[in-house]
Amino acid sequence: MSWLIWLIGVVLLFVAGFAAVLLPRRRANELDRRTAWSAARAAIDTAGVSRDAAPARVAEAEQLLARAESIAAEHGGRAAAESAADCARRADRLWRSADHG
Amino acid sequence: MAERRSRAWVEGLRWVALAVAVALLVIFLAAQRQSIDVSYGQSPPASDTVAEGSAGELSDATVPSVDEMTAMVAADDVVRLPGSVARWDESRVREAIGSTDVRILVAPPGLDEAERDRVRDVENATIRVLGTEVSGGIYQASADSLAGWRAQFAVGDVTDLLVTLIAGIQNKPSPGDLDTLRRRDATSAEITPMVADLRRTGLHIAAGATLSRVPASAATAFPGGKALYVALPPAPFGRPVPRYGEALARVFPDTPIVVMYGSWIEYDGPAAADFADVAAASFYGQVGDRLSEYAYPQQNVLGAYLSRVTDVRYAGLFDRPLPYRPLDPLRVALPALPWLFAGCVLVFLALSVRSLRRPSGAPSVGPPARLAGLTTLAVEMSALTHSASEPALTRGITKLMAARAALDEDLPDRHVGALLDDATSELDEAARLLPFTGYRPADYLRGRLT
Repeated sequence: MSWLIWLIGVVLLFVAGFAAVLLPRRRANELDRRTAWSAARAAIDTAGVSRDAAPARVAEAEQLLARAESIAAEHGGRAAAESAADCARRADRLWRSADHG
Repeated sequence: MAERRSRAWVEGLRWVALAVAVALLVIFLAAQRQSIDVSYGQSPPASDTVAEGSAGELSDATVPSVDEMTAMVAADDVVRLPGSVARWDESRVREAIGSTDVRILVAPPGLDEAERDRVRDVENATIRVLGTEVSGGIYQASADSLAGWRAQFAVGDVTDLLVTLIAGIQNKPSPGDLDTLRRRDATSAEITPMVADLRRTGLHIAAGATLSRVPASAATAFPGGKALYVALPPAPFGRPVPRYGEALARVFPDTPIVVMYGSWIEYDGPAAADFADVAAASFYGQVGDRLSEYAYPQQNVLGAYLSRVTDVRYAGLFDRPLPYRPLDPLRVALPALPWLFAGCVLVFLALSVRSLRRPSGAPSVGPPARLAGLTTLAVEMSALTHSASEPALTRGITKLMAARAALDEDLPDRHVGALLDDATSELDEAARLLPFTGYRPADYLRGRLT
């Protein structure tokens, strides 16, 4: 009886320890991923607006945006979201400079 | 503020519970090896045993040759060799014998091996009594009760043994033992010299006793050195035996008193009712056979008896002094440890679950208000915009929509804030291109969000 208490207690402590470490970490990862995709979608949308407003076509920017959209279509993890956002921002910058220039 | 403090307190409690649980586990595991060494076998006087020949159990008495003894037995149906000590109630024995031919050879105690063999070689003796050991044919009679040992060793009375053995030889059922030893109260005249000796030295040795001093094993048998010892020769046969111990116990209350009548030892004093019979039965049950055959001096008998008393004392039967260890708080607390441990584990688990629940903090006021203000600004600007400011305005509105989506998804405020910052800079750029003042976000929002 007494040994059973010790055994169960130790097992529970281990389970609680793993849960206390893993659950918040997983939750934080998930939040990070969603945040990164939110930023990426915002950047892609913004780049789309800049493309429509640009006076001329910019081939490089279109390539970048196409790549960003293809990455976004595959719905990867956080790294994919960040690279998509990076492509979209560079495309946006190219179109804007074309607009102002 | 109070909430944050209570949360910090709960967090501290959680880790304290975990630490206590682990400490209890460690204590429990460490305490496991402490509970091995409990033994009642540590009684010191193990070497003080009754040893063959070396304990003075052989007397000076000797016996004639086998032929002489055979002739004596043929001439007389009861032959008492010189030095013999055994006595019996003639009428009871004669009644048991009846009309059969039973010849009894009585030899002194303490014969050596060769002399004992000579006595056993006397073929025509039906019953041999060596000391007080009674044997005949294939039988040997031994006392097995305190009354029997008392009669045998205090007086040398072997009546019961003879009657039992004769019944055995005649294939008759054995008659029950009779406690025929009479006792009487000791008179004050008998007590007075004993009391004087006991007051002076704690030891009284009557004339004829074979005790010279208190044996060394007395120190462990009766710690404290208060015990009194009286040594008397065997009591005369046929007369009541005085109860000296009882009388002395009245003179010396709360004092252990050991009285020897020959080889018979009586104890009076503290815990006599619990202990005296246990000690006597275990002692005479073990060494009774040797005591009856040999002539041990009282010195050795008392030493062996006191060793047995020590064993009984250490066995925990008699006032329980030594094997019981002082109170150990760990030992007392040990049974409670599992439950304390379980309690700590439960507290830790409950607080962990509590801290793992999704923090349901109230949504912060900042970002939604900014989003609302900027959205209103964007709607107003969209009515005034022209082609130069349109891309910036559209980009700002896109960012605002992204911020709204992020807010709906419960994304972190920092992320929403970054999107709103982007939207603000886009709207600012659009407002700078407008011909009207007052639409720059900083100006527009100042009046509304403070």
